[in-house]
Amino acid sequence: MADNWAAEHLQVIRTLMERSAIYRRALAPVMTFTGAIGILAALAGWGLNIETPRGFTAYWTLVGCVALGGSYFLVRRQSLKDAEPFWSPPTRRVTQALLPPVVAGLIASVIIFLKADSNAPEVASVLAMVWQPQGWIVLYGCAMNAAGFFVPRGMKLFGWLFISGGCALFALGIPDVRRLVYAHGVMGLFFGALHLAYGIYLYFTEQRKNAA
Amino acid sequence: MNPEPFLQLDRVIHEKGRLAIMSLLAASPQLAFTEMRDTLNMTDGNITAHIRTLQEAGYVSVTKAFDGGRSITTYSLTAQGKKAFTSYINLLEQIVEQTKGK
Repeated sequence: MADNWAAEHLQVIRTLMERSAIYRRALAPVMTFTGAIGILAALAGWGLNIETPRGFTAYWTLVGCVALGGSYFLVRRQSLKDAEPFWSPPTRRVTQALLPPVVAGLIASVIIFLKADSNAPEVASVLAMVWQPQGWIVLYGCAMNAAGFFVPRGMKLFGWLFISGGCALFALGIPDVRRLVYAHGVMGLFFGALHLAYGIYLYFTEQRKNAA
Repeated sequence: MNPEPFLQLDRVIHEKGRLAIMSLLAASPQLAFTEMRDTLNMTDGNITAHIRTLQEAGYVSVTKAFDGGRSITTYSLTAQGKKAFTSYINLLEQIVEQTKGK
């Protein structure tokens, strides 16, 4: 009996320690906000005819920064409301998990932005408006999958959706549609519509207090 | 079976509520009161009482800070608390091993 008792105690301790490391902030507002920003940005980019390689790269990098900043603002608002520290260990872990793919994407974008004019126009266009968004999608999927180890509720699956979607787009090759429509459309679909759909799903499934 | 490990178990930690608090704090450098309460599904009074006992034993330290005009109270394990928790886990493992070896 004693071994059962001690082993059960150890199991309880292990479970509690794992639970302590899980990120508890509600993700529905973050996903919905990101989705709304993604869709609006895609429509605005299309409407404003942002079609140059440099323009597209700078525009979506800025949109990404706004979405990221807004997401952290929402998280901070939640933690203040709950009288909990914003920069908590789980928030740090999630940020550390997100960081490598996000930084890789940012570095690639800076290089594409700086080198855009040194390539032939068609090459620069394909690089910036076809391969770059696809690369962003794959890297973002890697970031979501990595964060998913500290976040419950299907985040890893969401990451895999991006990874497989981005890879499928690479496999399809260079599309025979106007680049403006394709590039902003792909960005709007993945960073807008998918986030919005996930946010709505979370609104219906996420418990306000996700302790369990 | 050698009963010594049983006798060495820290009575302060060896209580369901306090063990749960110690386990959470062992995995996180700091936790807010509400985080602990919501994760453990315990009442405010229960948590406060257990935290007080752990503080008196020197296992838990309390930090109060202000963020955005709100008071945030966080708890963390002291060095003594970490040591006591590690010893407690080691003793439990010893007990399991002893019984396995029988």
